[in-house]
Amino acid sequence: MRRATIVIGLVVLAWTVWDTGADPVRLARGIPWILDFLRRMLPPDLRVLPAALLGALKTVEIALLGTAVAAALALPLGFLSARNVAAPPIFHPARAALNFFRSVDTLVYALIFVAAVGLGPFPGVLAVVAYTTTSLAKLYSEAIEGIDRGPVDAITATGATRLQILRFGVLPQVLPLFLSYVLYRLETNIRAATVLGFVGAGGIGFYLQTYLRMIDYPAASTVLLVTVAMVMVVDAISSRLRARLV
Amino acid sequence: MIEIAGLRVVLPPAVAAVDGVDLAIAAGEFVVILGRSGAGKTTFLRALNRLVEPTAGTVRVGGRAITGADAATLRGLRRKIGMVFQQFNLVRRASVLDNVLAGRLGWTRTLPTLFGRFGTEDRRIALECLAQVGLAAFAARRADTLSGGEQQRVAIARALAQAPSVILADEPTASLDPALTGSIMDLLKAINVRRGLTLVVSQHQLETARAYATRVVGFRRGRVVFDGAPVALTPAVAATIYSEER
Repeated sequence: MRRATIVIGLVVLAWTVWDTGADPVRLARGIPWILDFLRRMLPPDLRVLPAALLGALKTVEIALLGTAVAAALALPLGFLSARNVAAPPIFHPARAALNFFRSVDTLVYALIFVAAVGLGPFPGVLAVVAYTTTSLAKLYSEAIEGIDRGPVDAITATGATRLQILRFGVLPQVLPLFLSYVLYRLETNIRAATVLGFVGAGGIGFYLQTYLRMIDYPAASTVLLVTVAMVMVVDAISSRLRARLV
Repeated sequence: MIEIAGLRVVLPPAVAAVDGVDLAIAAGEFVVILGRSGAGKTTFLRALNRLVEPTAGTVRVGGRAITGADAATLRGLRRKIGMVFQQFNLVRRASVLDNVLAGRLGWTRTLPTLFGRFGTEDRRIALECLAQVGLAAFAARRADTLSGGEQQRVAIARALAQAPSVILADEPTASLDPALTGSIMDLLKAINVRRGLTLVVSQHQLETARAYATRVVGFRRGRVVFDGAPVALTPAVAATIYSEER
Protein backbone atom coordinates (compact mmCIF):
# COMPACT_ATOMS: atom_id res chain seq x y z
CA MET A 1 0.00 0.00 0.00
CA ARG A 2 2.69 2.44 1.08
CA ARG A 3 4.98 1.36 -1.74
CA ALA A 4 2.17 1.79 -4.26
CA THR A 5 1.59 5.34 -2.99
CA ILE A 6 5.27 6.19 -3.41
CA VAL A 7 5.36 4.70 -6.93
CA ILE A 8 2.25 6.63 -7.96
CA GLY A 9 3.71 9.81 -6.48
CA LEU A 10 6.96 9.37 -8.42
CA VAL A 11 5.08 8.67 -11.67
CA VAL A 12 2.99 11.83 -11.21
CA LEU A 13 6.09 13.92 -10.51
CA ALA A 14 7.92 12.46 -13.54
CA TRP A 15 4.94 13.25 -15.73
CA THR A 16 4.85 16.86 -14.48
CA VAL A 17 8.56 17.24 -15.24
CA TRP A 18 7.89 16.08 -18.80
CA ASP A 19 4.70 18.08 -19.25
CA THR A 20 6.08 21.39 -17.94
CA GLY A 21 9.24 20.99 -19.98
CA ALA A 22 11.34 21.33 -16.81
CA ASP A 23 14.95 21.05 -17.97
CA PRO A 24 18.03 21.80 -15.81
CA VAL A 25 20.14 22.15 -18.94
CA ARG A 26 17.90 24.90 -20.22
CA LEU A 27 18.16 26.63 -16.85
CA ALA A 28 21.97 26.37 -16.96
CA ARG A 29 21.98 27.86 -20.46
CA GLY A 30 19.83 30.71 -19.17
CA ILE A 31 22.14 31.67 -16.31
CA PRO A 32 24.26 34.07 -18.40
CA TRP A 33 21.09 35.88 -19.38
CA ILE A 34 20.04 36.23 -15.76
CA LEU A 35 23.47 37.64 -14.92
CA ASP A 36 23.22 39.98 -17.87
CA PHE A 37 19.82 41.12 -16.65
CA LEU A 38 21.20 41.77 -13.15
CA ARG A 39 24.21 43.57 -14.57
CA ARG A 40 21.99 45.85 -16.60
CA MET A 41 19.93 46.64 -13.47
CA LEU A 42 23.02 48.06 -11.78
CA PRO A 43 23.50 50.66 -10.60
CA PRO A 44 19.93 51.45 -9.57
CA ASP A 45 18.62 54.69 -11.03
CA LEU A 46 17.92 56.71 -7.90
CA ARG A 47 16.20 59.47 -9.85
CA VAL A 48 13.02 57.40 -9.75
CA LEU A 49 13.27 56.95 -5.97
CA PRO A 50 10.56 59.56 -5.15
CA ALA A 51 8.14 57.87 -7.55
CA ALA A 52 9.00 54.45 -6.14
CA LEU A 53 8.47 55.65 -2.57
CA LEU A 54 5.11 57.16 -3.48
CA GLY A 55 4.15 53.87 -5.12
CA ALA A 56 5.24 51.96 -2.02
CA LEU A 57 3.19 54.26 0.19
CA LYS A 58 0.17 53.64 -1.99
CA THR A 59 0.72 49.88 -1.76
CA VAL A 60 0.91 50.07 2.03
CA GLU A 61 -2.29 52.12 2.02
CA ILE A 62 -4.06 49.55 -0.16
CA ALA A 63 -3.00 46.71 2.14
CA LEU A 64 -3.75 48.65 5.31
CA LEU A 65 -7.23 49.83 4.32
CA GLY A 66 -8.16 46.53 2.70
CA THR A 67 -7.02 44.50 5.71
CA ALA A 68 -8.76 46.81 8.20
CA VAL A 69 -12.10 46.65 6.38
CA ALA A 70 -11.75 42.88 5.96
CA ALA A 71 -10.91 42.41 9.65
CA ALA A 72 -14.24 44.02 10.57
CA LEU A 73 -16.33 42.34 7.87
CA ALA A 74 -14.89 38.94 8.80
CA LEU A 75 -16.13 39.23 12.41
CA PRO A 76 -19.79 38.31 11.85
CA LEU A 77 -18.80 35.81 9.16
CA GLY A 78 -16.34 34.15 11.52
CA PHE A 79 -18.97 33.66 14.21
CA LEU A 80 -21.54 32.43 11.68
CA SER A 81 -19.15 29.79 10.36
CA ALA A 82 -18.03 28.49 13.76
CA ARG A 83 -19.49 25.08 14.51
CA ASN A 84 -19.86 25.73 18.24
CA VAL A 85 -21.68 29.06 17.84
CA ALA A 86 -23.87 28.89 14.74
CA ALA A 87 -26.69 26.43 14.18
CA PRO A 88 -26.05 23.84 11.42
CA PRO A 89 -28.44 25.49 8.89
CA ILE A 90 -26.32 28.66 9.12
CA PHE A 91 -22.92 27.12 9.69
CA HIS A 92 -22.86 24.83 6.65
CA PRO A 93 -23.74 27.42 3.97
CA ALA A 94 -21.44 29.98 5.63
CA ARG A 95 -18.52 27.54 5.58
CA ALA A 96 -19.21 26.59 1.97
CA ALA A 97 -19.33 30.27 0.93
CA LEU A 98 -16.02 30.96 2.67
CA ASN A 99 -14.31 28.06 0.94
CA PHE A 100 -15.71 29.14 -2.42
CA PHE A 101 -14.61 32.78 -2.22
CA ARG A 102 -11.29 31.92 -0.62
CA SER A 103 -10.29 29.75 -3.57
CA VAL A 104 -9.89 32.86 -5.74
CA ASP A 105 -6.68 34.84 -5.24
CA THR A 106 -6.42 38.59 -4.59
CA LEU A 107 -4.95 39.16 -8.08
CA VAL A 108 -7.98 37.58 -9.76
CA TYR A 109 -10.29 39.76 -7.66
CA ALA A 110 -8.21 42.76 -8.78
CA LEU A 111 -8.86 41.89 -12.46
CA ILE A 112 -12.58 41.75 -11.74
CA PHE A 113 -12.67 45.02 -9.77
CA VAL A 114 -10.53 46.90 -12.31
CA ALA A 115 -13.11 45.93 -14.90
CA ALA A 116 -15.88 47.03 -12.53
CA VAL A 117 -14.65 50.36 -11.12
CA GLY A 118 -11.73 51.28 -13.39
CA LEU A 119 -7.96 51.65 -12.85
CA GLY A 120 -6.26 52.86 -9.67
CA PRO A 121 -5.73 51.90 -6.05
CA PHE A 122 -9.45 51.60 -5.27
CA PRO A 123 -10.00 48.31 -7.13
CA GLY A 124 -6.83 47.15 -5.35
CA VAL A 125 -8.41 47.88 -1.98
CA LEU A 126 -11.57 46.05 -3.04
CA ALA A 127 -9.55 43.04 -4.15
CA VAL A 128 -7.71 42.89 -0.82
CA VAL A 129 -11.02 43.18 1.04
CA ALA A 130 -12.63 40.42 -1.04
CA TYR A 131 -9.93 37.85 -0.46
CA THR A 132 -8.93 38.81 3.08
CA THR A 133 -12.48 38.88 4.45
CA THR A 134 -13.07 35.24 3.66
CA SER A 135 -9.61 34.05 4.62
CA LEU A 136 -9.78 35.89 7.97
CA ALA A 137 -13.31 34.64 8.58
CA LYS A 138 -12.01 31.09 8.17
CA LEU A 139 -9.17 31.73 10.65
CA TYR A 140 -11.54 33.47 13.07
CA SER A 141 -13.99 30.59 12.99
CA GLU A 142 -11.26 28.06 13.72
CA ALA A 143 -10.11 30.16 16.68
CA ILE A 144 -13.70 30.31 17.96
CA GLU A 145 -14.03 26.54 17.65
CA GLY A 146 -10.92 26.11 19.79
CA ILE A 147 -12.09 28.11 22.81
CA ASP A 148 -12.41 26.91 26.38
CA ARG A 149 -16.06 26.06 27.06
CA GLY A 150 -15.81 26.99 30.76
CA PRO A 151 -16.12 30.79 30.63
CA VAL A 152 -18.99 30.42 28.13
CA ASP A 153 -20.85 28.24 30.65
CA ALA A 154 -20.12 30.73 33.42
CA ILE A 155 -21.40 33.71 31.43
CA THR A 156 -24.46 31.73 30.32
CA ALA A 157 -25.23 30.91 33.96
CA THR A 158 -25.38 34.63 34.86
CA GLY A 159 -28.50 35.05 32.72
CA ALA A 160 -26.64 36.85 29.93
CA THR A 161 -28.14 37.18 26.45
CA ARG A 162 -26.63 35.36 23.47
CA LEU A 163 -24.76 38.47 22.30
CA GLN A 164 -23.43 39.07 25.81
CA ILE A 165 -22.23 35.47 25.96
CA LEU A 166 -20.31 35.99 22.71
CA ARG A 167 -18.94 39.32 23.91
CA PHE A 168 -17.89 38.22 27.41
CA GLY A 169 -17.40 34.46 27.11
CA VAL A 170 -15.99 34.06 23.61
CA LEU A 171 -14.49 37.34 22.40
CA PRO A 172 -11.92 37.85 25.21
CA GLN A 173 -10.58 34.37 24.50
CA VAL A 174 -10.20 34.85 20.76
CA LEU A 175 -9.42 38.57 20.40
CA PRO A 176 -5.62 38.28 20.77
CA LEU A 177 -5.66 35.48 18.19
CA PHE A 178 -7.82 37.57 15.87
CA LEU A 179 -5.44 40.53 16.09
CA SER A 180 -2.50 38.25 15.44
CA TYR A 181 -4.21 36.85 12.32
CA VAL A 182 -5.02 40.36 11.11
CA LEU A 183 -1.38 41.42 11.42
CA TYR A 184 -0.26 38.26 9.65
CA ARG A 185 -2.73 38.99 6.85
CA LEU A 186 -1.43 42.54 6.66
CA GLU A 187 2.06 41.17 6.02
CA THR A 188 0.89 38.85 3.24
CA ASN A 189 -1.34 41.57 1.80
CA ILE A 190 1.60 43.94 1.46
CA ARG A 191 3.27 41.28 -0.68
CA ALA A 192 0.08 40.57 -2.61
CA ALA A 193 -0.51 44.29 -3.16
CA THR A 194 2.91 44.77 -4.78
CA VAL A 195 1.73 42.86 -7.86
CA LEU A 196 -1.75 44.44 -7.95
CA GLY A 197 -0.28 47.28 -10.03
CA PHE A 198 0.49 44.76 -12.78
CA VAL A 199 -3.22 44.52 -13.56
CA GLY A 200 -3.85 48.23 -13.12
CA ALA A 201 -4.94 48.17 -9.48
CA GLY A 202 -2.45 50.76 -8.23
CA GLY A 203 0.62 50.84 -6.05
CA ILE A 204 4.28 50.10 -6.54
CA GLY A 205 3.65 47.24 -8.97
CA PHE A 206 2.52 49.78 -11.54
CA TYR A 207 5.97 51.40 -11.56
CA LEU A 208 7.79 48.08 -11.69
CA GLN A 209 5.76 46.97 -14.67
CA THR A 210 6.12 50.32 -16.43
CA TYR A 211 9.92 50.43 -16.12
CA LEU A 212 10.28 46.80 -17.17
CA ARG A 213 8.17 47.49 -20.26
CA MET A 214 10.30 50.56 -21.05
CA ILE A 215 13.39 48.31 -20.65
CA ASP A 216 14.62 50.80 -18.03
CA TYR A 217 16.25 48.20 -15.81
CA PRO A 218 18.13 50.61 -13.48
CA ALA A 219 14.82 52.30 -12.65
CA ALA A 220 13.12 48.92 -12.19
CA SER A 221 15.85 47.84 -9.77
CA THR A 222 15.24 50.94 -7.63
CA VAL A 223 11.55 50.00 -7.47
CA LEU A 224 12.46 46.42 -6.55
CA LEU A 225 14.78 47.56 -3.76
CA VAL A 226 12.09 49.85 -2.37
CA THR A 227 9.63 46.93 -2.49
CA VAL A 228 12.00 44.69 -0.55
CA ALA A 229 12.64 47.41 2.02
CA MET A 230 8.92 48.09 2.39
CA VAL A 231 8.06 44.43 2.94
CA MET A 232 10.87 44.00 5.45
CA VAL A 233 9.86 47.08 7.43
CA VAL A 234 6.20 46.06 7.60
CA ASP A 235 7.13 42.47 8.52
CA ALA A 236 9.40 43.66 11.30
CA ILE A 237 6.78 46.00 12.80
CA SER A 238 4.02 43.47 12.45
CA SER A 239 5.91 40.53 13.91
CA ARG A 240 6.99 42.65 16.85
CA LEU A 241 3.36 43.59 17.51
CA ARG A 242 2.29 39.96 17.17
CA ALA A 243 4.90 38.79 19.65
CA ARG A 244 3.32 41.09 22.22
CA LEU A 245 -0.14 39.61 21.74
CA VAL A 246 0.53 36.02 22.73
CA MET B 1 -36.76 27.33 47.04
CA ILE B 2 -35.84 24.55 44.60
CA GLU B 3 -38.32 21.80 43.74
CA ILE B 4 -37.12 18.95 41.57
CA ALA B 5 -39.46 16.23 40.38
CA GLY B 6 -38.67 13.18 38.27
CA LEU B 7 -35.50 14.74 36.92
CA ARG B 8 -33.75 12.66 34.30
CA VAL B 9 -30.80 13.67 32.15
CA VAL B 10 -29.64 11.30 29.45
CA LEU B 11 -26.32 12.30 27.94
CA PRO B 12 -25.26 11.12 24.48
CA PRO B 13 -24.92 8.37 23.51
CA ALA B 14 -27.31 6.87 26.11
CA VAL B 15 -26.06 7.39 29.65
CA ALA B 16 -28.63 8.29 32.28
CA ALA B 17 -26.35 10.65 34.25
CA VAL B 18 -29.31 11.74 36.39
CA ASP B 19 -31.83 8.97 36.69
CA GLY B 20 -35.06 10.06 38.38
CA VAL B 21 -34.36 12.56 41.15
CA ASP B 22 -37.03 14.10 43.38
CA LEU B 23 -35.81 16.70 45.82
CA ALA B 24 -37.15 19.78 47.59
CA ILE B 25 -34.61 22.25 48.91
CA ALA B 26 -35.80 24.95 51.29
CA ALA B 27 -34.53 28.53 51.39
CA GLY B 28 -31.40 28.96 53.48
CA GLU B 29 -30.30 25.33 53.37
CA PHE B 30 -26.68 24.37 52.81
CA VAL B 31 -27.05 21.17 50.85
CA VAL B 32 -24.01 19.09 49.96
CA ILE B 33 -24.47 16.69 47.08
CA LEU B 34 -22.12 13.87 47.99
CA GLY B 35 -20.91 11.16 45.66
CA ARG B 36 -18.03 9.55 43.82
CA SER B 37 -16.86 11.17 40.61
CA GLY B 38 -19.18 10.05 37.85
CA ALA B 39 -22.17 9.74 40.18
CA GLY B 40 -24.01 12.47 38.24
CA LYS B 41 -23.45 15.40 40.62
CA THR B 42 -22.16 17.80 37.95
CA THR B 43 -24.89 16.93 35.48
CA PHE B 44 -27.49 17.30 38.23
CA LEU B 45 -26.30 20.81 39.15
CA ARG B 46 -26.04 21.86 35.52
CA ALA B 47 -29.57 20.65 34.88
CA LEU B 48 -30.87 22.96 37.63
CA ASN B 49 -30.09 26.10 35.57
CA ARG B 50 -30.33 24.23 32.27
CA LEU B 51 -26.72 24.45 31.23
CA VAL B 52 -27.60 20.85 30.47
CA GLU B 53 -31.07 20.26 29.06
CA PRO B 54 -33.03 17.78 31.20
CA THR B 55 -34.50 14.83 29.33
CA ALA B 56 -37.51 14.57 31.61
CA GLY B 57 -38.88 15.99 34.85
CA THR B 58 -39.34 19.48 36.21
CA VAL B 59 -37.22 21.97 38.08
CA ARG B 60 -38.83 24.93 39.82
CA VAL B 61 -36.85 27.72 41.44
CA GLY B 62 -38.59 30.22 43.68
CA GLY B 63 -41.90 28.75 42.55
CA ARG B 64 -41.26 29.31 38.85
CA ALA B 65 -40.63 26.52 36.36
CA ILE B 66 -37.18 26.61 34.81
CA THR B 67 -37.83 23.53 32.72
CA GLY B 68 -39.84 24.48 29.65
CA ALA B 69 -39.27 28.21 30.20
CA ASP B 70 -38.71 30.29 27.07
CA ALA B 71 -35.34 31.99 26.51
CA ALA B 72 -36.22 35.29 28.18
CA THR B 73 -37.80 33.64 31.23
CA LEU B 74 -34.85 31.28 31.51
CA ARG B 75 -32.40 34.22 31.55
CA GLY B 76 -34.49 35.92 34.22
CA LEU B 77 -34.37 32.80 36.38
CA ARG B 78 -30.70 32.14 35.75
CA ARG B 79 -29.66 35.53 37.07
CA LYS B 80 -31.11 34.57 40.46
CA ILE B 81 -28.95 31.41 40.46
CA GLY B 82 -25.23 31.98 40.87
CA MET B 83 -22.90 29.22 39.76
CA VAL B 84 -19.38 28.32 40.85
CA PHE B 85 -17.36 25.79 38.89
CA GLN B 86 -14.59 23.33 39.64
CA GLN B 87 -12.29 25.01 37.08
CA PHE B 88 -13.35 28.55 38.16
CA ASN B 89 -14.20 29.36 34.51
CA LEU B 90 -12.94 32.90 34.67
CA VAL B 91 -12.04 34.78 31.52
CA ARG B 92 -8.33 34.44 32.10
CA ARG B 93 -7.17 37.45 30.08
CA ALA B 94 -9.73 39.82 31.54
CA SER B 95 -9.24 41.82 34.73
CA VAL B 96 -10.59 40.56 38.05
CA LEU B 97 -13.15 43.38 38.13
CA ASP B 98 -14.34 42.64 34.58
CA ASN B 99 -14.85 39.01 35.59
CA VAL B 100 -16.96 40.05 38.56
CA LEU B 101 -18.89 42.58 36.46
CA ALA B 102 -19.94 39.69 34.21
CA GLY B 103 -22.16 38.67 37.12
CA ARG B 104 -24.22 41.80 36.42
CA LEU B 105 -24.95 40.89 32.79
CA GLY B 106 -28.38 39.50 33.53
CA TRP B 107 -29.40 42.83 35.08
CA THR B 108 -28.11 45.17 32.40
CA ARG B 109 -29.29 46.24 28.98
CA THR B 110 -27.42 44.31 26.31
CA LEU B 111 -26.24 47.12 24.04
CA PRO B 112 -24.06 49.19 26.42
CA THR B 113 -22.43 46.07 27.84
CA LEU B 114 -21.38 44.99 24.34
CA PHE B 115 -19.13 48.07 24.38
CA GLY B 116 -17.89 47.16 27.85
CA ARG B 117 -20.02 49.82 29.55
CA PHE B 118 -21.52 49.12 32.95
CA GLY B 119 -23.48 51.49 35.16
CA THR B 120 -21.95 52.97 38.30
CA GLU B 121 -24.34 50.91 40.42
CA ASP B 122 -23.15 47.71 38.71
CA ARG B 123 -19.53 48.70 39.37
CA ARG B 124 -20.31 49.47 43.00
CA ILE B 125 -21.93 46.06 43.47
CA ALA B 126 -19.02 44.29 41.75
CA LEU B 127 -16.43 46.03 43.94
CA GLU B 128 -18.48 45.32 47.04
CA CYS B 129 -18.66 41.60 46.17
CA LEU B 130 -14.94 41.57 45.50
CA ALA B 131 -14.35 43.11 48.92
CA GLN B 132 -16.58 40.49 50.46
CA VAL B 133 -14.31 37.70 49.21
CA GLY B 134 -11.29 39.65 50.45
CA LEU B 135 -9.87 40.59 47.05
CA ALA B 136 -10.70 44.31 46.75
CA ALA B 137 -7.04 45.10 46.15
CA PHE B 138 -6.91 42.74 43.16
CA ALA B 139 -9.58 44.47 41.03
CA ALA B 140 -7.21 45.65 38.29
CA ARG B 141 -5.12 42.47 38.12
CA ARG B 142 -5.45 40.08 35.20
CA ALA B 143 -7.40 37.02 36.36
CA ASP B 144 -4.75 34.50 35.32
CA THR B 145 -2.12 36.15 37.51
CA LEU B 146 -4.02 35.01 40.61
CA SER B 147 -3.54 31.72 42.44
CA GLY B 148 -6.16 28.98 42.12
CA GLY B 149 -7.72 29.77 45.48
CA GLU B 150 -7.91 33.47 44.63
CA GLN B 151 -9.44 32.72 41.24
CA GLN B 152 -12.15 30.65 42.89
CA ARG B 153 -12.86 33.59 45.22
CA VAL B 154 -13.23 35.84 42.17
CA ALA B 155 -15.64 33.29 40.72
CA ILE B 156 -17.64 33.38 43.96
CA ALA B 157 -17.67 37.20 43.81
CA ARG B 158 -19.00 36.94 40.24
CA ALA B 159 -21.82 34.69 41.46
CA LEU B 160 -22.56 37.11 44.34
CA ALA B 161 -22.69 40.05 41.93
CA GLN B 162 -25.80 38.47 40.44
CA ALA B 163 -27.57 39.16 43.74
CA PRO B 164 -28.76 35.56 43.59
CA SER B 165 -31.02 33.70 45.96
CA VAL B 166 -29.33 30.38 45.21
CA ILE B 167 -25.70 29.46 44.55
CA LEU B 168 -24.81 26.20 42.87
CA ALA B 169 -21.19 25.17 43.41
CA ASP B 170 -19.84 22.25 41.43
CA GLU B 171 -16.89 20.67 43.27
CA PRO B 172 -15.60 24.16 44.13
CA THR B 173 -12.52 22.84 45.92
CA ALA B 174 -11.63 19.80 43.81
CA SER B 175 -8.97 21.52 41.70
CA LEU B 176 -7.42 23.36 44.63
CA ASP B 177 -4.68 22.53 47.08
CA PRO B 178 -6.38 20.56 49.92
CA ALA B 179 -5.19 23.23 52.37
CA LEU B 180 -7.46 25.74 50.59
CA THR B 181 -10.60 23.60 50.82
CA GLY B 182 -11.46 25.02 54.24
CA SER B 183 -11.12 28.67 53.24
CA ILE B 184 -13.36 28.31 50.18
CA MET B 185 -15.95 26.25 52.07
CA ASP B 186 -15.83 28.78 54.96
CA LEU B 187 -16.53 31.54 52.46
CA LEU B 188 -19.51 29.66 51.00
CA LYS B 189 -20.77 28.95 54.51
CA ALA B 190 -20.48 32.63 55.45
CA ILE B 191 -22.52 33.57 52.38
CA ASN B 192 -25.10 31.00 53.38
CA VAL B 193 -25.34 32.25 56.95
CA ARG B 194 -24.95 36.01 56.52
CA ARG B 195 -26.82 36.54 53.30
CA GLY B 196 -29.28 33.74 53.91
CA LEU B 197 -28.61 32.30 50.44
CA THR B 198 -29.50 28.72 49.57
CA LEU B 199 -26.39 26.74 48.70
CA VAL B 200 -26.18 23.51 46.75
CA VAL B 201 -22.59 22.30 46.72
CA SER B 202 -21.31 19.08 45.21
CA GLN B 203 -18.44 17.36 46.97
CA HIS B 204 -16.71 14.02 46.82
CA GLN B 205 -15.11 14.43 50.26
CA LEU B 206 -17.08 12.98 53.14
CA GLU B 207 -15.42 15.05 55.87
CA THR B 208 -16.07 18.31 54.07
CA ALA B 209 -19.73 17.40 53.62
CA ARG B 210 -20.05 16.57 57.31
CA ALA B 211 -18.35 19.79 58.38
CA TYR B 212 -20.36 22.27 56.34
CA ALA B 213 -23.71 20.84 55.27
CA THR B 214 -27.04 21.36 56.98
CA ARG B 215 -28.24 18.50 54.80
CA VAL B 216 -26.44 15.85 52.79
CA VAL B 217 -27.84 14.26 49.64
CA GLY B 218 -25.93 11.13 48.61
CA PHE B 219 -25.75 10.42 44.88
CA ARG B 220 -24.89 7.10 43.32
CA ARG B 221 -25.31 6.32 39.63
CA GLY B 222 -27.61 9.29 39.09
CA ARG B 223 -29.96 8.45 41.95
CA VAL B 224 -30.44 9.76 45.48
CA VAL B 225 -29.34 7.02 47.89
CA PHE B 226 -29.26 9.14 51.05
CA ASP B 227 -30.97 12.32 52.14
CA GLY B 228 -30.58 13.57 55.67
CA ALA B 229 -28.65 15.46 58.31
CA PRO B 230 -24.86 15.15 58.39
CA VAL B 231 -25.08 13.32 61.73
CA ALA B 232 -27.09 10.56 60.07
CA LEU B 233 -24.21 9.97 57.69
CA THR B 234 -22.99 6.77 59.33
CA PRO B 235 -20.10 4.70 57.97
CA ALA B 236 -22.65 2.23 56.61
CA VAL B 237 -24.46 5.00 54.70
CA ALA B 238 -21.15 6.34 53.41
CA ALA B 239 -20.27 2.87 52.19
CA THR B 240 -23.50 2.76 50.19
CA ILE B 241 -22.80 6.13 48.59
CA TYR B 242 -19.25 5.23 47.67
CA SER B 243 -19.78 1.57 46.74
CA GLU B 244 -19.00 0.58 43.19
CA GLU B 245 -21.32 -2.33 42.43
CA ARG B 246 -24.92 -1.81 41.46
